[in-house]
Amino acid sequence: MSLLIDAWTVLAVFSGVFFFLAGTVGLLRFPDALTRLHALTKADNLGLGLIVFGLLPQAVDVWMALKLIVIWLLVLIAGAVVSQRVARVARAQESGQ
Amino acid sequence: MNGMWQVGVVRWVSLMLLWVALIGTHSAALLVGAIAAALATWVSLKLLPPDRSGLRLLALMGLLPRFLWQSLKAGWDVARRALDPRLPIAPGFVTFTCPYRGVHARDTFAAISSLLPGTVPCGESEDGLEIHCLDVGQPVVAQLTDEAQRMAHALGEDGHG
Repeated sequence: MSLLIDAWTVLAVFSGVFFFLAGTVGLLRFPDALTRLHALTKADNLGLGLIVFGLLPQAVDVWMALKLIVIWLLVLIAGAVVSQRVARVARAQESGQ
Repeated sequence: MNGMWQVGVVRWVSLMLLWVALIGTHSAALLVGAIAAALATWVSLKLLPPDRSGLRLLALMGLLPRFLWQSLKAGWDVARRALDPRLPIAPGFVTFTCPYRGVHARDTFAAISSLLPGTVPCGESEDGLEIHCLDVGQPVVAQLTDEAQRMAHALGEDGHG
């Protein structure tokens, strides 16, 4: 049973790392600030989510599990709010030039 | 005024629970948490007074599975495009006329739509929300219209105003 749980953790965390890597590749390859925002917000949200889901069964108690979920939710909310704020500024600068 | 206090207390308690989940229950940390939660409650009552917003938290939670699925699709979509040697993106802007009347509902929708596949809201014009798309070839407006309909109830936009 614990082997299964560990296998799940390894699989989910590695998948999460894959999406962080893909997001970073997007950050480097995409042409401008707005497209890079897509790469960062979407891929990293998913990457972090997968890492959190992978680590959940390893949590020593309910508080630790709750903490992991809260951290993920806070990053999601911050990403949703901040990405559109950054997008507004990027858009305004683009049309100003 | 009474209702304001009630909502304030509920929000403070919720924020304290969040604090305890993150930081733990050491007495010094609790004191800092109590002050931080009080300040956050005060700001939240200023920015989101109880009677103005029609947000239905439970209904919003009900959308969570779909929301997680969309987040998965969004991440996969970006990863696929970023890693493809041909870099298949066609970035551009579309204008989406948000069907909601309430300002809070529109803002919440904009925040959520930034987590959906292929879209980041980047401003407002007289015609509606300006959306930056990773691929303008996708039926972005149709997708957003569909999401807006699904979220209407949770955001308090189903008919009563």
